Amino acid sequence: MALLEVDNVSVRFGGLQALRAVSLTVGPGVVCGLIGPNGAGKTTLFNVITGLQRASNGNVRIGGKDVTNSNVNRRAGLGIARTFQKLEAFNSLSARDNVLVAAESTSKARRKGRSAAQVADDALERTGLSEYADITVGTMPTPRARLVELARALATGPDLLLLDEASSGLNDEETGKVGELLREVVNATGLSVLLVEHDMSFVMGLCSTIHVLDLGEMIAHGTPAEVQADRRVQVAYLGTEAELAS
Amino acid sequence: MSRRRGRIGAQFAALRSPVGLSAGVFVLLAIFVVWHGRQATNLAPFSTKNIATALFTGLAIGALSALYATGIVVVYTTTGIFNFAQAAIGAFSAFLYWQLRVEWNWPALPALAFVVLVVAPLIGIGLDRLIMRKLEGAPLVIQLLVTVGVMYFILTATGQIWKQDRPRKLNAFYGTKSFDLGPINLTYHRAIVLLVAIAVAVALRILFRSGLGVAMRAVVDNRDLAGLTGTNPDRVSAVAWAIGAMLGAIAGILIAPELELDPANLNAVLVLAFAAAAFGQMRKLSLTLVGALLIGVARQFMRSFLRFSDWTFASDAIAPVVLLFVVVALPQSRLQVGRIATNLKQRERTTRPWEAMIGGAFLLVAFVALSGGWLNFGFWDPGAWNQIAFNRTNVALSLALVGMSLVPLTGWVGQLNFAPMAFAGFGAFLLLKLADGTGTTLVSVWWLPLVGLLCAPLGALVAVTAARLRGLYLALASIAFAQLAALLLFPHPKIGFSSGAVFKPFTVFGLDLTGRRSFMMLLVSVFVIFMIALVTLRRTRYGRRWVALSDSEAASATLGVNVTATKIIVYAVSAAMAGVGGALFATANSTVDGVRTFTLDSSIPIVLLMAIGGMAFPIAALFTMFQLITLAVEERLEQAGAHHYILAALTFLRYFGPGLGAIGMVANQRGAAFAAGLQNARYLPWRGDAKAERKAEKASRREPEIGQLGIEQPFTASRVLAIERRLGVVDELIPTATQITTTASTPIPQQQEVSVGAVGS
Repeated sequence: MALLEVDNVSVRFGGLQALRAVSLTVGPGVVCGLIGPNGAGKTTLFNVITGLQRASNGNVRIGGKDVTNSNVNRRAGLGIARTFQKLEAFNSLSARDNVLVAAESTSKARRKGRSAAQVADDALERTGLSEYADITVGTMPTPRARLVELARALATGPDLLLLDEASSGLNDEETGKVGELLREVVNATGLSVLLVEHDMSFVMGLCSTIHVLDLGEMIAHGTPAEVQADRRVQVAYLGTEAELAS
Repeated sequence: MSRRRGRIGAQFAALRSPVGLSAGVFVLLAIFVVWHGRQATNLAPFSTKNIATALFTGLAIGALSALYATGIVVVYTTTGIFNFAQAAIGAFSAFLYWQLRVEWNWPALPALAFVVLVVAPLIGIGLDRLIMRKLEGAPLVIQLLVTVGVMYFILTATGQIWKQDRPRKLNAFYGTKSFDLGPINLTYHRAIVLLVAIAVAVALRILFRSGLGVAMRAVVDNRDLAGLTGTNPDRVSAVAWAIGAMLGAIAGILIAPELELDPANLNAVLVLAFAAAAFGQMRKLSLTLVGALLIGVARQFMRSFLRFSDWTFASDAIAPVVLLFVVVALPQSRLQVGRIATNLKQRERTTRPWEAMIGGAFLLVAFVALSGGWLNFGFWDPGAWNQIAFNRTNVALSLALVGMSLVPLTGWVGQLNFAPMAFAGFGAFLLLKLADGTGTTLVSVWWLPLVGLLCAPLGALVAVTAARLRGLYLALASIAFAQLAALLLFPHPKIGFSSGAVFKPFTVFGLDLTGRRSFMMLLVSVFVIFMIALVTLRRTRYGRRWVALSDSEAASATLGVNVTATKIIVYAVSAAMAGVGGALFATANSTVDGVRTFTLDSSIPIVLLMAIGGMAFPIAALFTMFQLITLAVEERLEQAGAHHYILAALTFLRYFGPGLGAIGMVANQRGAAFAAGLQNARYLPWRGDAKAERKAEKASRREPEIGQLGIEQPFTASRVLAIERRLGVVDELIPTATQITTTASTPIPQQQEVSVGAVGS
């Protein structure tokens, strides 16, 4: 059974069609990429999945359950967690408290019987943040604060992790580290990842399936190689040949 | 045919939206009010003359509040700062005009020109330059509290310059002369008011259509970006503030003859102006004018044609009712915007419960020792307190409890609340109804927890409305709530406080707390219990979650936190604390005035002093005793024969401290308790960490890290822009498609994906 099914979702902001009949499925234990030029609607799709944005049309199912009209926090309880494109860490709390808030808001079943403190320490350890556990996140450099967001998402014990530009604000080396970390987490816990990314080498190296959004429409999906070869994708990213020539 | 049905269907669907819902409730309420009000006998008949008189009186009041509201809207749309001081500027101008015109016998026109064209713009530009511009990028709570501080400062200054030592009256223009317009008899003054309102509306419309208007709107969106396109944002915001202050001055001078010349009275129009500004959705000038006129007329018609027996202030409640409904109905920002945390320390340290216990024990000892006069410092002998001193202390301590109720709500969760005294009023009210009965026996102290428990659901009820409101709208809703409680509920002789309500002292374990000193010890004990409870709570999962909520509601929700439920709990806790404080406050006063005690005006200094002390710290509640302490010191020094300069300085501090302190939050946003902790924690023997941190900070100041271009610090939009400007890459601010194929470049935070798409398409 698919973890996440987005079925025919549309979103309108006044006159702007941000998403047009987008469908997407993520199965268990896979890493999926979601790419597209700026303004394609990637973050909007994330918001629809997590419930921060209501769809004007269509359905979202998590673990087979229709959550189209569910609250944000109810969806979280079904095992999705996310990070944000623009950092949304709890700036005035320490890294440990950030992660603790997440662990404490998670049901005991999802924590697999462990205490919230154990889960939090584990998430900090996994992301290599143990050393900085007591540092206030608002004073951290961006790359580390991004890691805190990731640790916080992991602490909810999700089945599906949504990463919105995990590498933005990071240099090549740091991006590489995040990729490594993600691979480890996926191998260790078997969760699925859906990630929005601008860094192509990062996406291509990490994902088994890639979905491409352009101007609110899903124009292609497939393996990295298939997507790269896709004509519509090339046009979306680079413009038509005529445009390129001029 | 089908299309038509669709449209009707859409209209029904609209009813389910907050706008439709509150409009529906509002209409029902209006129908009920009119029906109820017409039940009374001896009502004014609906003659043409009566209607016309009521209409023009209402229009005049409406037009005057429209002038205020317009000033607020102009400043808000241009600078993003919601100016609470608008009516205070008006009050000051009215008094200044009185000084020139009546006291110094200036002719009307030069006096008017001097106040409106010289002084008012100077005030506006001064405020902008000295204070408001430094608030750019500050958290909304701080922005609002600073303008409230300015309001408080201007009002106190006006009250101090023109003391209420003799009656002052500002005559209407052309006195009581009037002319007939058909059946209507209109005074020249009101005709002038209406004409000025229309002229201002037209002039501003033209201005907003001009290049300057466009520039003004660009500046509020993004000051830096507007600056790049050649607009001078500083000039634009100065112009907006000057216009705002001039409108305030005109309104103040014109409204003074209609009301008494009294600062608080002149400031009371503010809620009407807020309601009108909200009606105009905080940006549409024409709708603002319409809203103001409607409210003014509705208010006057209620006064003229309806009677509500015991609901004495029903017509004044129109403005807060409209404000509440409109604010709830306005489209709210979705779960988004994180709070900008400021002045963060690298290691935030929450107070340990045992530290609070030590502090509490210290407080208890200090109060016992001071009040008994056991501490003689040589230069300072407190002496044993008399009954007046105890009385003052008791009142101040109970207000401190009310102030502490803001710690979880505003300090931790960031929900701005200007109505702590309304919650306190409910507490007092409950104690009266529960325990009083005959009013002859003493009251068992155990009623207090019950009062708290019963206030909690009330807080929860407020939270249900407030949960979807954020920022400015939440603050305005709390103002409307405070006004409604103070105008409708508390003064009602049957439902609220009857005029002779007496609050009896407490007993506990058979102990009689009738004496003022023993009552003070009860208050200090409750203060200490609250403080320890809050400090403990902050370190539990609930405290963490609450602070997290204020940092980012969106992130909290995606982690599984039920945002609404959490807010309801916090409101309940805060209401319970304020309720207990209010019950004790009423007992300290031994009687309560339903009209004057639990008002919005009494809430404001508490909120300001809490903010100055540090909203997030329970101990900061001691700051609400600021005026008491300065007064006590002053009296003591006077007895000791201190120099009158010192006494004058203390008097100044007592009056202007709250306002100036709130304005000072421009520099220190986390309050005095935080600053004091930062400075002095290292002297505590167990705080080796503070000592080490200070040392490290000094060391890092000596060797600044250069060359990292800010990567080691969190990004803000203006920072990114500054960096890009330095690098000369501003032209690439909106990323092009080709950029994506290369490795990810530095993102531009706060750039909405959607808006980028709109630019690109």
